[in-house]
Amino acid sequence: MHSTHLIARGACRAPLPRFLMWIAPWVALFALGAYAMFLCLSQGLFHTNMDNRYAFGLWIFLDLTVIALGAGAFFTGFLLYVLHKKELKAVINSAVVIGLTCYSGAMVVLAVDVGQPLRAWFTYYHPNVHSMLTEVTFCITCYLVVLAIEYVPMLLKNRRLKLVPSFLVFEWELHKLMVVFALIGTLLSFFHQGSLGGLFGVLRGRPFAFREGLAIWPSTFFLFVLSAMAVGPSFVALTTWMVEKLARRPLVKPEVYDTLGRISGKLLLGYVFLKTVDTLLWINQTAPDRGFAAHRFYQHSAFGTWILFAEIALFGLLPAFILFQPKLRQRRGFLILAAVMACAGVTLNRFVLTIQTMALPTLPFDRFLSYWPSWQEFAAFGAIAAYAVLVYSFSYRYLTLFPQEREIALAEERS
Amino acid sequence: MFPWVYGFEWHAGYLIFLGVFFTVAVVVVSTVMLALFRTFRDFRQGRAAQLQWASNFHDLPPQHRACRHALTGELEGRVCEQNFDCRECTMHASLLAKQSSAPACCQESEIFGMPVPLDRYYHRGHTWVQAAEDGSLLIGLDELARRVIGKPDSLTLPAPGTTLVANSPALSLSRNGSEVRILSPVDGAVTAVADPGEDWLLRVKPAGNFSPRHLLSGLEVKAWYLRELERLQLSMGLPEGAPSLADGGVLVEDVASVCPKSQWDTACGDLFLNA
Repeated sequence: MHSTHLIARGACRAPLPRFLMWIAPWVALFALGAYAMFLCLSQGLFHTNMDNRYAFGLWIFLDLTVIALGAGAFFTGFLLYVLHKKELKAVINSAVVIGLTCYSGAMVVLAVDVGQPLRAWFTYYHPNVHSMLTEVTFCITCYLVVLAIEYVPMLLKNRRLKLVPSFLVFEWELHKLMVVFALIGTLLSFFHQGSLGGLFGVLRGRPFAFREGLAIWPSTFFLFVLSAMAVGPSFVALTTWMVEKLARRPLVKPEVYDTLGRISGKLLLGYVFLKTVDTLLWINQTAPDRGFAAHRFYQHSAFGTWILFAEIALFGLLPAFILFQPKLRQRRGFLILAAVMACAGVTLNRFVLTIQTMALPTLPFDRFLSYWPSWQEFAAFGAIAAYAVLVYSFSYRYLTLFPQEREIALAEERS
Repeated sequence: MFPWVYGFEWHAGYLIFLGVFFTVAVVVVSTVMLALFRTFRDFRQGRAAQLQWASNFHDLPPQHRACRHALTGELEGRVCEQNFDCRECTMHASLLAKQSSAPACCQESEIFGMPVPLDRYYHRGHTWVQAAEDGSLLIGLDELARRVIGKPDSLTLPAPGTTLVANSPALSLSRNGSEVRILSPVDGAVTAVADPGEDWLLRVKPAGNFSPRHLLSGLEVKAWYLRELERLQLSMGLPEGAPSLADGGVLVEDVASVCPKSQWDTACGDLFLNA
C-alpha cells in the first residue's frame, strides 16, 4: 500500500521524503525529552531545579499555557455545535487536534512533575474535594477523554479507514451526537480553566497571587476562564495561518478568520476590562489588606511594572482593539499580529502567576528567589512541543483537518 | 470516591463534586454506547450503505454537489442536500411536474467526440442504466468513465445474488495503483455479470418497482456531461498543470496513460464521487 493512499483524494501533501525530513528534528527533540522524562520518573525530581520553595516551575507554566491555548477546542466546539456558527466547521477538526495535543501533553508533563505514576490513580480514588487541583485533575482527565472521542470521527474518515463500512457508519452516528460532547467539553473546560486560575487565587500565603472573589471562587477563577475563551480562537487562527504558510495554500475562507478574530476581540476586550478592574482592586484593597503595598511586588528588576503594562495593555488591550475593529482584523497581517499578541498575553499571564508568584518574597526574612530550569526541564518542555507538532503534522497529512481545502483549491482553479 | 473507600465523607461538597463527576462520566459513556447501538441498528436494518454514502457525500466539496437543476440553469448555484437521491427531493418533484423526464428513445448525442446515447438513464457517478425487455436493468460505465479509466489493471464485479443499494459501491477497479469504487445507480440484486466485450457490466433485478427519478435523462444529460468535463479539467489542472481539454478538443481514449498518477487519482475521486 502506498503512503499516498492514506492521504485524502485531492489533498496536496508533500512527498514522503520531504515529510520525513520535516518530522526528523521533531522526533529527535521528542526523543531527548522522553529521555529526560525517563530520568525524572526513574530517579526523581532532583534532575530538575525545582525545590520545596520553588515547587512550580517551567512545567506548570507550560501546563497552564497549553491548556489556555488549547481552549480553542472546547470554545470552537461550543460555537459550532451549540451556537451554530457554521463557518467554524472549517477549523473545528484542527481545533480538536490542537486541544488533544495540548491536553495530552499537559497530562504527560504533569505526570512527570507529580512523579510516582504508579500511584496516579490515588488522585481519583481518594479525592480531596477541597483542593482546586482535584477539580483540575478530574476535569482535565474527563476532557481529554472527550477530546479523544471527538478525534475518533476524524480518524475514521481517513481514506483507508473509511473503506471499512462499520467505521464510516459509526463515525456518522457519533458525529450526530457531537453536540453532547461539545456541551460536556464546555462544562469541563469552564471548571478546569477556572480552577487552574483559582488555585493561585486561593494562595493566602502569597499576597501577589491572592484575590478576593465570589463565594468560594477567587476572581482569578473567572479571569482564567475568560482569557482562555478569548485566546482560544486567536490560537486557532494563528495555527491555521501557520499551516497555510507551511503548506503554501489557503485552507479556510477569509470569513473564518474574520469570525475567529471578531469573537476573540470581543472576549479579549471584556477580559482586559475585568482584568483591569481586578488589578485595581488588588492594588487598592486586597494587597494592602494583606499588609503589602502593591508597588513592592514590582521592585525586583526581573519583574518590574513593565510586566503589568505588557500583560494588560500591550498584549491585552492592543490586540483586543485590533481584533475588535472590522477594518483592522480584515487585514490578515494585523489579525495574525493581534493573535500572536493575544497568545503572548495569556502566556505572560500564566508566567506571572506561576513564576513571579514563586519568586517574590512573602516574609520579612525571605529573599527574591531566582530559578532557571535544568536541561531536563527544558528537554521535557521541548518534547511536549515536538509531540504536538508531530501529532498535528501526521493529522494534517493523513486526515482532513480543513474541509474547505479542496473547495478553495477548486474555486481558485476555476478562477 | 466510593462510600467504602478510605477518605470518603458524607458531606455536601463531597457529594456534589462526585455527583457531577459521575454524571459526566455516565453521559460520556452513554453517548458512545448510543452511537455504537445506532451503528449496530443501522446494519441490522440495512441502512448502513445509505449512511456510508451520506457520510461520503457530506465530505464532497460544494462544487461536486451541484443540484441537477443547477446544471441545467433552472436553479442557479443550488447545491444538493439530498445526497443525490432526488426521490426524496420536493424541489425536484415540483420541477419534474413541469417537464417530461422520459428518456428520448433512440437518440444519440455526441459531446466532444464522446457518444452519449440518450436511450438510457445516467447516474451522477458515471454509470448508466437501461431497462432490458425482461424487466431487468443493465448497468454500464458511460463513455467519459471509460476514457478516464482506460484499461483497468483489475476489475472486481459483485457476484450474482449480491444486493446493490443505490449510491453504495457496486464494483471496484484499480489502475496505476489506485482503487476506484463505482457507485451503484439503482437498488436491486445482481443477476449476471457481463462477459468480456459487452458494453454493460451488470444485470440487475430491481428492488420493487424501478423508479428512475434520481437518475439523469434526456436533455439534462448534456448539461451534466459538459459540467463533468469541466470538473475533469479542474481536477487534472490542479497542482502541476496537467494536460487539459481545450475547447473543441477530444478527450483521449485512455486518460490514465497520459496523466500523472496523483492527478488521475484525484480526478477519479471527483468524477466517481469517491470523497
